[in-house]
Amino acid sequence: MAINDYEADATELLETYDFLMKYIVIGEAGTGKSCLLHHFTHNSFKDHSQHTIGVEFSSRTVKLGEKRIKLQLWDTAGQERFRSVTRSYYRGAAGAILVYDITNRDSFTNLGRWLADARTLASPNLVVVLVGNKSDREDDREVEWAEASRWAAENDVHFLEASSLTGENVEAPFLMAARAILLAIESGTLDPEKAGSGVSYGDRALRRVNSSSRLSFGSLSGSARRRGGAVKLKVKSWIPGSKCC
Amino acid sequence: MASLSPRTPSSIARTNSSQSERKASWTAQSRNPVSQRLSKVLGTNFDSEDTRQALRTLSELYATTSKGKEVQAPTSGPTQPMVLTETVPGELAARARKNLRRDMELQLAEGSRKFLQALGEVDTKLGALQTHVAAMRTSCDEAETQLALTNESSKLLLERAGNLRDERQEVEDKKTIITLFLARFTLTELELQALTSRDVPIGQRFFDAMDKTERIREDCRVLMAGEDGSTKAGLEIMASTSTHLEDGYEKILRYCSNEFRKVGRDSQLEVSPVMKQTIQRLRKRPELLTEALSALSETRQATLLSSFIAALTRGGPSGYPRPIELHAHDPMRYVGDMLAWVHQTIAAEREFLESLFGIKSDGRMVGSVRNFSSKAEEEEWIRELMDLAVGKLCVPLKAGFSVRVQQTVRSQESNIVSYKIANLLQFYLMTMRRTIGEDALLSTTLKEITDVAYKVFYDSIEAQSQTLSRIRFDLDDPSLTPPNAILDHSQILREVMQVYQSSLLGTEDEDEINAGFNQVLDIMVDPAVQMCIANSEEKMKARPRWDGQVFILNCLCYLQSVLSTFEFTTQKRAEIQKTIDQRIALLTTEHSDNVLRDAGLWEVAETCKHHETDEPLSRLPSTQPADLQRALQRFSMWLSGLDVVHSPRLSHLTVQKMHTQIHQDALVRLAKEYKMICEEVKKPANRYEAAATLLGSERPFGQVHLLWQIFGLEDKEEEEESSDEGEDEDEDEEEDTEEEGEGEGDSEESEGESEES
Repeated sequence: MAINDYEADATELLETYDFLMKYIVIGEAGTGKSCLLHHFTHNSFKDHSQHTIGVEFSSRTVKLGEKRIKLQLWDTAGQERFRSVTRSYYRGAAGAILVYDITNRDSFTNLGRWLADARTLASPNLVVVLVGNKSDREDDREVEWAEASRWAAENDVHFLEASSLTGENVEAPFLMAARAILLAIESGTLDPEKAGSGVSYGDRALRRVNSSSRLSFGSLSGSARRRGGAVKLKVKSWIPGSKCC
Repeated sequence: MASLSPRTPSSIARTNSSQSERKASWTAQSRNPVSQRLSKVLGTNFDSEDTRQALRTLSELYATTSKGKEVQAPTSGPTQPMVLTETVPGELAARARKNLRRDMELQLAEGSRKFLQALGEVDTKLGALQTHVAAMRTSCDEAETQLALTNESSKLLLERAGNLRDERQEVEDKKTIITLFLARFTLTELELQALTSRDVPIGQRFFDAMDKTERIREDCRVLMAGEDGSTKAGLEIMASTSTHLEDGYEKILRYCSNEFRKVGRDSQLEVSPVMKQTIQRLRKRPELLTEALSALSETRQATLLSSFIAALTRGGPSGYPRPIELHAHDPMRYVGDMLAWVHQTIAAEREFLESLFGIKSDGRMVGSVRNFSSKAEEEEWIRELMDLAVGKLCVPLKAGFSVRVQQTVRSQESNIVSYKIANLLQFYLMTMRRTIGEDALLSTTLKEITDVAYKVFYDSIEAQSQTLSRIRFDLDDPSLTPPNAILDHSQILREVMQVYQSSLLGTEDEDEINAGFNQVLDIMVDPAVQMCIANSEEKMKARPRWDGQVFILNCLCYLQSVLSTFEFTTQKRAEIQKTIDQRIALLTTEHSDNVLRDAGLWEVAETCKHHETDEPLSRLPSTQPADLQRALQRFSMWLSGLDVVHSPRLSHLTVQKMHTQIHQDALVRLAKEYKMICEEVKKPANRYEAAATLLGSERPFGQVHLLWQIFGLEDKEEEEESSDEGEDEDEDEEEDTEEEGEGEGDSEESEGESEES
């Protein structure tokens, strides 16, 4: 039910927004980054997906609590030969969706390299969500959930498994990252006013700032926590003790 | 008197009734007139009121018969003067009895005279009255005439009043109509204000007023299109509404320009619904829209330029992400970061413009192919605005490239780096072309930069190749393997090829792939080939013992093997193969001559081939039986040596297969020469005595098929075709690498040649 709530909120496409966040989607070739993103933006599975060439862009507005957040999503090519191109897009990203394929162990073992790249090249407050994609192919599984979860906890990233075929958990990683970023803004570690932080205020938020002297996320924190808890029950994949929620 | 007459019948009736009563008793008496009279008189009743009244009047006339009253009566009535004369009581009664008639008549006369007098007065009065009445009548007539006249004249008035009333009604109706008309065809004060006043902000009220104005014009146009044609009112309405409408558009324009200047300075843009609607409306006034958009464009250009420069030089907040310039020493990263920044900016800009023009995003991703052929004008505007907005970025981009990158690349003189940059630029050029169009300034600038980068690269590899041509071989180096210069050069070539391989997107067809690299191959491979050949030929002249042919083949094969790992080098490999084939042919001839010489049959064979028919061979110097015998002996010796299966010279060839093939070709030729010698010797015209004995004295005893066996070859003459096929198959199986295979194919050709010869 909580998931349904999410989707109902998330599919609402809105013109105005409170925040604009830049995300990058990274990971080895063939892990389903483009498909995940396609499902997120189009709500359908992308058949016959080709390798991404360089970098592709898409965007979507989501609703989190009372906040509307516009996500600018940069889908990168996983192939090694595009690394020199894609690395330039890490610059100033606020969130990174790090994708591996649960049926391909190599895509998991290489995660360290991807994470290191992202941490060095993106903004220092980069929020990373690890996504084990293709969770529908349980029979071919090569990476256990527990192992990935441990890795995520060690590296201080959020983690869940998703399927861009069935659409399971496709929106959750994006919303998790958004929530973590909002909390960072609330706690003051991230300032959307500054260029290059990967986040900026939208028109709505600005209006609110102008009308009241202080920007408060009180309502957000409450509802986010509640929502977070609900998702946790359903998804079973939240890392206990992680920073977000 | 008058009063008596009616009483008479009644009294008579009474009398009659009493008479009838008395009749019964007095029948006789009643016939007497006197008695009748008497009874009548007696029967008269004076008790009646009339009588009493008459008496009373009478008594009043003779007032003295009574006491006081009668005295008073004459005094009170001046009409009774004779009463005064009365002095004796009772006298009056007597007198009255006497004079009653006279008195009565007097009285009557008196009364009549009075009457007359009174009536005379009345008559006079009446006469006066009549005069008055006549006068009145005249007046009345006058009045009536006057009235008639008035009536006449008031009728006109009434009529007019009626008309006026009608007119008024008409006017009222008109007024209602006009009010309605005005309500429908003119703007209210408020609406006008909304349209024209600067105090009313652009909003729903303004848009409603605009809509109304538009509607009025529309209605008006419909009306004027009717049969009556255009009316003055219609024209006026059109004129005034057009003014208002223009005012409205002016206001929108002012708003937009202002708003654009304001919001255009933000790095991230958002479009308010009002803004979107204003743009929607301005589309009906393209010239105004153009003006507004050019304001937007100006602001965006300036904004993007300053944010780009900030990203280049200042970086993000507190230095994160670091300024792009910080990595200027790493040209790949520098160029990549700059272009990625531009690319991301384009995406945001595109989103902004799409929402500004209300285009629902087509779900297409940036970088994927955009269809520019669609003639939608929004698309055209977006393309133009994008072009302008990012066009300004070309200046720092170009400067950054030419100052930083070119310097770096030149200073490092690294072909690989410059090639990588050129490829990276090429990648972005393709991406940008698909995103903002082929003709966009950024695309053309990128094209320029890319061309420059390629030029730098080509220049550098050309320089590299030129250094190659300046190299002179060490004359005292006996080795036949490719020299270091070639190895180094090949290493660079290999890396360049790897870069090219990785720059391919996988969408190009074979021709495109080949075309993209041919120039590099021409620049890098051809000079290497030429250098090898030219240098070896020079060295061969200086050092005849140095085996230049083998060296050249080794170099060529090495170059080919370097190319062979990449498919896009097929064409160049074929070119090299051609050279190799020529070289193999040369070497094969040379080698088979040498083999023939070593085997001792050279002179014999030469003589056999060139002798004139009139002179028998046995008479010629080199083929006299003794000489022939010696040659055959030497051949026999040679056959038992190692050289039959293995040539020390060819063993220096790095490609073993080539060695085998060339040597075999030489052996085939040898066998053929031997056969030819045998045939010649056996010919009677050559006059050899005991030719069979001569040939049979030494191995292979004149038997050619034996020679084939010794060489380990099939008899080419007899089983040429089948054996060829068999060999082919065997060779194919043995083939490990392509160039060997191709080498093989060519050695077959050389076989053919040797057979022909």
